[in-house]
Amino acid sequence: MEKYEIMLIISPELEKEEHEEVLGGLTSEIEKGNGSVDIILDWRRRRLAYEINKLQEGHYYLVYFTAQGSIIPELEHYFKVTDSIMRYMIVRATEQEFAAAIEKAEREAAKAREESEKKAAEEIANTETEVEETAEVESDAVQESSTTVEVEADEAQDDLAEEITKTEETEEMLKDEPVNEDK
Amino acid sequence: MRRDRGRKPKKKICSFCVDKVEAVDYKQYEKLKRFVTERGKVLPRRISGNCAGHQRQLTKAIKKARIMALLPFSME
Ligand SMILES: [Zn+2]
Repeated sequence: MEKYEIMLIISPELEKEEHEEVLGGLTSEIEKGNGSVDIILDWRRRRLAYEINKLQEGHYYLVYFTAQGSIIPELEHYFKVTDSIMRYMIVRATEQEFAAAIEKAEREAAKAREESEKKAAEEIANTETEVEETAEVESDAVQESSTTVEVEADEAQDDLAEEITKTEETEEMLKDEPVNEDK
Repeated sequence: MRRDRGRKPKKKICSFCVDKVEAVDYKQYEKLKRFVTERGKVLPRRISGNCAGHQRQLTKAIKKARIMALLPFSME
């Protein structure tokens, strides 16, 4: 069993439920291959450095999973047939990266919970009615706006995450070699 | 990159070595931006002062970040 990290860009035009569907589909693909998803981080909506499919923004997710390497072609297939996935990158991940991701998710969740409780308390103070409903809405909003889930992999990282795969399209782009090395 | 250009820099220091980075992470693209020119090209080692090992990792990380639209491809 190996550990992997997938970065996905899902179309921001889709509803949240549709994102869940895509991620759920990926999860079941992984499980079908006897793997397991360790954690999924919402890396949120970001501005793209260049347009993809006429879109300026994309919704990023990081999926950490454990599986056998033979599963990778299956996942690539899933990504290719899923139109809402704008781009993906699968890399090997280390135990430390996994631990950092899980810790990050827990921290985020705790923070979101804390903030939504605070908001809820404020709501109670402000309005006497429909407290429950408002609190729920607010807690959603908090989740959306809380700080970016930036995975600080340099906190703990052992070996270089190997690039496993890339889309055909991007393979072409890779030929665009940067000028870098000293003569 | 606080070093002033044009003049001979006194010392070349690899900032990744300074920060004890074992593997350059493409997800930290904000950090990588410092090593990319306005045109989107990777800064050469002689300017960035990176060691060869970290420069190689950096180049790979920048490529991944470009694929994932976190950094632009070089504009030309
Ligand atoms: Zn170095």
